[in-house]
Amino acid sequence: MLLLEQLPVNYAPVAFQFFVAVGFVVVTMLATHLIGPKRKTSDKLTPFESGVEVQGNARHPMSVKYFLVAILFVLFDVEVIFMYPWAVNFRELGILGMLEMFTFMIFLLLGFIYIIKKGALNWE
Amino acid sequence: MENITNAITLVPLNHYILLSSIIFFIGIIGVLTRRNAIIVFMSIELMLNAVNLLLTAFSAYRGDAAGQVFVFFIMAVAAAEVAVGLAIIVMIYRNNNSIDIDLLNKLKN
Amino acid sequence: MTITQSLFYFLAFVAIFSSLLVVTAKNPIHSVLYLILTFFTLTGEYILLNAQFIGIVNIIVYAGAIMVLFLFVIMLLNLNVESEPQKTNLMKFIGIITGGIGLVVLTAALKSTDPSNTVVIQEVDMGLVKNLGQVLFKEFLLPFEIVSILFLSAMVGAVLLARKETK
Repeated sequence: MLLLEQLPVNYAPVAFQFFVAVGFVVVTMLATHLIGPKRKTSDKLTPFESGVEVQGNARHPMSVKYFLVAILFVLFDVEVIFMYPWAVNFRELGILGMLEMFTFMIFLLLGFIYIIKKGALNWE
Repeated sequence: MENITNAITLVPLNHYILLSSIIFFIGIIGVLTRRNAIIVFMSIELMLNAVNLLLTAFSAYRGDAAGQVFVFFIMAVAAAEVAVGLAIIVMIYRNNNSIDIDLLNKLKN
Repeated sequence: MTITQSLFYFLAFVAIFSSLLVVTAKNPIHSVLYLILTFFTLTGEYILLNAQFIGIVNIIVYAGAIMVLFLFVIMLLNLNVESEPQKTNLMKFIGIITGGIGLVVLTAALKSTDPSNTVVIQEVDMGLVKNLGQVLFKEFLLPFEIVSILFLSAMVGAVLLARKETK
């Protein structure tokens, strides 16, 4: 009967919680829109800038410094999906699995050393 | 036990193939009709995901886990492609101040 | 119609609808959000197929990492709706016709095959982490090690391309 605990049916509570969370957001947003008073004057609709007149558009290009960190995060994040199955099977795979994972990690570590050497993560 | 596993999925395999081919061709239409390089990239992600769904459906249909392992490799390739591709897009933006793919025709002449 | 079937068709409808919106949305940020919705519906489909680990990984990798990177690049590049380049209507029409013809050909080929059996999950624990790990580390060892080389080259490529030259 162990197998019966691993069916999609058992995700019903998760799905239920998901719908409750989404429903709460939708209901509260709709309720505040419907119940709250609406006074749309041009002064009220401008963004609040501590009393200073608004200048230009809010969509300005942001700094590029953080961009490389985000790219490298994606690569190291995907690497983790190969480590979950390894960690669960750690005992069964034994010493061979350990060596396989070490080979995998050595290449990634080489990449990491390259990144550090190039100073790609430095905040200038 | 047999009844329970039979009751899990009663969707024909053809419908999975149809769903993933529709998503795949939506991705192709996106690549062909948009000029924004980022949206072209997102359409490619859509196509990769359609293939992932198809691989998983076949893997469940055949009872063979190899298809699901292949999905991992596709995800790894997608991540590497996105990392390099977005770096190229940022590079193009720095040089051209635009990410319009129709401007990238300098090899034409 | 069982619950699973109705869930499948509901998720399929949402997936197709939101992927159409990805392609047609004017604002790139809306495209990213619709693409995330598509990924969530696909996760639902994976869980219906009892491929639970794939479903979770799909959320972690695609919705969690790749789409954040997309959003980040869009924020970085200052893309206003007005500056968004558009193809001419003729080119759009040709693109839609080309894609549509491809879909029609594939669907027609699918129609001419025999009606398929329903997908019956034969081994219930196939999509779980443990079983996938057994297959991955026994049968697919070489691709697994090659993935690490792929990551290494992607890292080097990204660092070389994205780093500002400060000479």
